[in-house]
Amino acid sequence: MGKPKAKVDINKCLACCGCISVCPQDAVNWFGGKAFVNDEKCISCAICIRTCPVGAISGEVY
Amino acid sequence: MNYDAIIAGSGPAGSVTARFAAESGAKVLVIERRAEVGVPVLCGEGISRKIDDWDMVTGDRWIAGRMDGARIYSPDKTCVTIGAEQAGNETGYVIYRDIFDQELARHAIKAGAEYMMNTQATGLIKEGDKIVGIIAKYFDEKLKFEADIIVGADGVDSKIGHWAGIETRLDPKDLETCAQYTLENIDIKDAYCEFYLGKEIAPGGYVWVFPKGKGIANVGIGILASLSESGMAKKLLENFIEKDPRLKKGIPIRFLAGAVPVSNPIETVLDNIILVGDAARHVDPLTGGGLTHCLEGGKIAGEVIGKAVKQKDFSQEFLSEYETRWKEAFGQKIKRNYLFKELLLDMDDKTLNHIAYALKDKKFDEISTHGLVKEVANELPISTKFKALLKHGSKIKEIKNQ
Repeated sequence: MGKPKAKVDINKCLACCGCISVCPQDAVNWFGGKAFVNDEKCISCAICIRTCPVGAISGEVY
Repeated sequence: MNYDAIIAGSGPAGSVTARFAAESGAKVLVIERRAEVGVPVLCGEGISRKIDDWDMVTGDRWIAGRMDGARIYSPDKTCVTIGAEQAGNETGYVIYRDIFDQELARHAIKAGAEYMMNTQATGLIKEGDKIVGIIAKYFDEKLKFEADIIVGADGVDSKIGHWAGIETRLDPKDLETCAQYTLENIDIKDAYCEFYLGKEIAPGGYVWVFPKGKGIANVGIGILASLSESGMAKKLLENFIEKDPRLKKGIPIRFLAGAVPVSNPIETVLDNIILVGDAARHVDPLTGGGLTHCLEGGKIAGEVIGKAVKQKDFSQEFLSEYETRWKEAFGQKIKRNYLFKELLLDMDDKTLNHIAYALKDKKFDEISTHGLVKEVANELPISTKFKALLKHGSKIKEIKNQ
């Protein structure tokens, strides 16, 4: 089991794009009006989780 | 499909660039990933009255309220007032950003620009190293557009710059993460924009209250991403509203989340590439305000695109006129206010209170961060000055001398 990857709750995401802007790995992208995390690229740094103003991103263990 | 310029993003910077490029004869297409220009609003909706001189928006449908001034509150609620003495002297507007953006788009379209909604840029087309167009997704359809210039007006999370090879990722200490309620039924009678500072209120940022008239106000918060925890902005904003007797009975009619770059300027021009607006980091890093810069920068970009099309020269060298001119217009201000942002971050609440106390009876007759910054620099306590001098050296002097 690896480190938890960031996961966006699309019901909470308001597409402010803060997470996309700060991701050091270009792992978060805009898709159909929501932010999406690419698990392949995510390095579990949690910067996006801390940045989210509404708490829409959490760490999920795979 | 061939264009002289393709602009990704229909915000203010994109639409103004489109308008002035089209007016100077360029064939322009604006693509927008969202379904409606200006929607959802992602903004505190305050703007300086400077725009009165620019003739970029007409009529007054976009104006929610004309402000008489601003009040800045330190952590212990000591108030520094700007523009209070001249009642009726308009210091700024609170606007309806959706209508504002649509007005700017209307002017661009009148000038001949085309728009495509629901169209998201997904990559650049390159021939060797040369950028020759853009790939976009329109609903499920993949489209290719050829163009001599690609303009990244694609906001804080700009991909155009990144794809072209410009470092666009923001350090968390250079991003304000924001939340805002538009509240009905609040008890605010006068037309003052309010700003509340303090580590407990908004770490690395501030809470704003921008009245829109008729008992409505935008009440928002920005906190520095490097000081944020998950969901903190929303939580702190709700705490603030709950504690303010004028606001706590407010009924929310809109909630939004936002992200604002508060960084130093970046490279904005490459061969066949121009960045404008938030994508170019044209935001005042001290206030987080960006609208006037985005309009000014967009106009310059549009004019330079017009010239480039006439000369058939799309090289970085030719397009760099844009970078030179926006730096002349507001580049120095961004650099200075970035420095000041860093200084402010080092100050504890006690220092902020001290400064506010020293400034509270001063008369500021216009909303100018420049004037305020100078005064604050004068009032810094010796201990803070010393720390700042160690950290930022001669740059403090630079701030005071400008």
